[in-house]
Amino acid sequence: MSAVWDFLSRTQGRGGRLTWTDWLSYAYLILGFLVILVPVLWLGLNSIKTQFQIESQDLSLLPGDFERVARATVNGPDGREIFVIGELPDWVLNWSDLSAEERADQDVDGFLAGFEGNALYALRSHLGEVSGAARALILDLGLPEWLNRYGALTPTAREAFDLDAVVSELDEDQQRLILEYLGVEPYQPNRIVTQALVTAPNPDTGEIMEWAIPNPNATSEFFPGRAVDGSIEGVVRLPANSVAAERNIAPEWDNYIEPLTNSAYGVNVNFVTCITNSVLVTVIATFITLLINSMAAFALSKYTFKGQTLFLVVILATLMVPATITLVGVFKAINATGLSGSIWGVIIPGAATPAGVFLLRQYMLTIPDELLEAARMDSASEWKVFWRIVLPLALPAIAALGILSIIWRWNDLIIPMVAIATATEAYTIQLCLLEFRGEHVSQEHYRLAMTVVSLIPTTLVFVFLQKYITTGIANTGMK
Amino acid sequence: MALLELRNVKKSYGPVDVIHGIDITVASGEFCVFVGPSGCGKSTLLRMIAGLEKITDGEIAIDDEVLNNVTASERGLAMVFQSYALYPHMSVRNNLSFGLENISTPKAEIDQRVNEAARMLQIEDYLDRRPGQLSGGQRQRVAIGRAVVREPRVFLFDEPLSNLDAELRVATRGEISALHKRLGNTMVYVTHDQVEAMTMADKIAVLRAGRLEQFGPPLELFNAPANRFVAGFIGSPKMNFVKGTMGEGGKFVSEGGAEVQLDASRFQTRPNQAVELGVRPSHTSPADGGIPLQVRAVEQLGTETFVYGSVEGAEEFAMQLAGQVNIRPNTVQHVAIDAGSAHLFDLENGLSCAK
Repeated sequence: MSAVWDFLSRTQGRGGRLTWTDWLSYAYLILGFLVILVPVLWLGLNSIKTQFQIESQDLSLLPGDFERVARATVNGPDGREIFVIGELPDWVLNWSDLSAEERADQDVDGFLAGFEGNALYALRSHLGEVSGAARALILDLGLPEWLNRYGALTPTAREAFDLDAVVSELDEDQQRLILEYLGVEPYQPNRIVTQALVTAPNPDTGEIMEWAIPNPNATSEFFPGRAVDGSIEGVVRLPANSVAAERNIAPEWDNYIEPLTNSAYGVNVNFVTCITNSVLVTVIATFITLLINSMAAFALSKYTFKGQTLFLVVILATLMVPATITLVGVFKAINATGLSGSIWGVIIPGAATPAGVFLLRQYMLTIPDELLEAARMDSASEWKVFWRIVLPLALPAIAALGILSIIWRWNDLIIPMVAIATATEAYTIQLCLLEFRGEHVSQEHYRLAMTVVSLIPTTLVFVFLQKYITTGIANTGMK
Repeated sequence: MALLELRNVKKSYGPVDVIHGIDITVASGEFCVFVGPSGCGKSTLLRMIAGLEKITDGEIAIDDEVLNNVTASERGLAMVFQSYALYPHMSVRNNLSFGLENISTPKAEIDQRVNEAARMLQIEDYLDRRPGQLSGGQRQRVAIGRAVVREPRVFLFDEPLSNLDAELRVATRGEISALHKRLGNTMVYVTHDQVEAMTMADKIAVLRAGRLEQFGPPLELFNAPANRFVAGFIGSPKMNFVKGTMGEGGKFVSEGGAEVQLDASRFQTRPNQAVELGVRPSHTSPADGGIPLQVRAVEQLGTETFVYGSVEGAEEFAMQLAGQVNIRPNTVQHVAIDAGSAHLFDLENGLSCAK
């Protein structure tokens, strides 16, 4: 550990004092470090934000949401009433996001028993209890069975039934339940939406109060606030700079867990399969790339044969053609060979990398011919010369090409789109990430989290192969 | 054991001929040295024997088996390279055993042979090191060891001492000679240094511009050089050459008119033939009469003295005298020549006029 500190705090060597070159170097290093680190950190922090936070384009660095309260709208004979219900548990506020099992876990009846009046009506509607309770009431009181159908009838069909006669028999609460169930004027459905809880002084009296506002991130001068305690009627214009909002930090690990356990909502690809495919594609294609390229480079650098220059020129010429131009040809070739829809359709076109041949050839040119001749004098076959002499000595270049190839194949989007876009089970990770942004549903929260996951293998590969590059260089001291 | 024969061997790169047809027979167990100035084709010839260069024409045979179409890896020869060419990524032990593994030698035998060679060459302590961690002399030994473990039919050495410092070169020279005596293999050794050639060889082949100038034991080359080139190349310090013509009765007349009486029975000359008189610096002595030498410099080494200057008919003329001699620069000193050790060469074609 102290060795690491010694390394990091190294100076030009004048008694530990920092000269201007030291300052410059450290400033440059720190800048470079931040240029790399900040985007990755930003990605990491965004990947654990809730779907709501991402979709509301909350630019805050930290994951988590404002404390929220419920803004209820209740319709009745007295017109529409809007008020705020404070102190509700999270499961009630997030009810619409819960799955059926999660809903079943909650004691809804027990919870509703704690409320009365308009708050009860609003919550009853919000929690989807109205129709259940109304049906139970119809059974209990032996009311006519047609009530259950009444809501769905056309106005002319409704004339056959005397709703008012039935309802007038009931008490006020029962009347309300039945009419809400039937959706009859003026009992349109009640609604609850969540709003952010903020504190701000009352603009009239200066008294500090709690308010519910739609979005504290909005860039307007005034927020429309509604007093949480209901002491002020209607909406109050709150100056934006007087508002203080509270956040609770809550990382949303489900962004990771759900796609990785294939339980993500609204996603029709299996992320684990995609990772497996990508790993297979990357490993096999890199292996083939290294093998073929090193053999080609060996021939081009260490043998003399007719047409040698021609082959090299042809290989180099392909470097000058952008990949997008050959895309149609690649697609036709993949299709004609029947590789379309299988990961081999990604592996085989990807394995041909003229840049790799060139890189390895240039490195192999620096291996002295005498070493190869010495091996031949040692009765080594040409295969042995390749495997035992040339490959180990070219290891630094091979490691470099290996890193490049892994990163190319892992991050490749175009060839997979061309080759396997029709077969979901063959998707690579990049296609998978694309899938999270659908035509109709956008699942940015999953996409951010899975982007982080897709970065891990390439990072690890770089960290580990880096070592081979340096040891490789240390080994090649001819003389 | 291994009789190496080169029969009219030729090599050309495209239209350029570099070896013009060479015949050499190296008897089994002989130490043969190819010597010549740079670019004379001696390394090319060695690489053709090794199989690393194709043979354009002629035959190379070992024990009457023609090797022209046998690849380097199947010829069963071993070569020590000028740069040593040790495998940098293998330990010394693996460097030594690599060749044996390739011919599927049993593991126990490999270990035994490697250890034996390591003991013989005193590299046992470095067996687990990489070549990069060794000094030049140690690498040299490993390179020789790599050849030794193979127990090849013929050893080939391509200027193996040129990267060593002078002192180590002399010591290693002795070691290679001792190795040859102990192993008794046929060896072919390439060098541009005629001292190495003289000290180590059983037979020397002097090459120039792709042609064999003379082939024979060292002293034969020294005492009876076939032409002016060999005479000038073999022996240190170099032979002096004085231009002149032949007079009556074996008398040599230099361009300056000085006369030297030679033993007429040793040479075959025509009267008035333009010749060069060759005499080694050690076969000269100061005298009252003879060839006048314009002295330019004198080197007193204590046990011997070198006198440098010029005579009419030779820009450069050197004397090697025993002991300490009182001769001053910028004077004229007459030189007597030991007529029994003198050589005569035709001025036009350089061939020796000896009978």
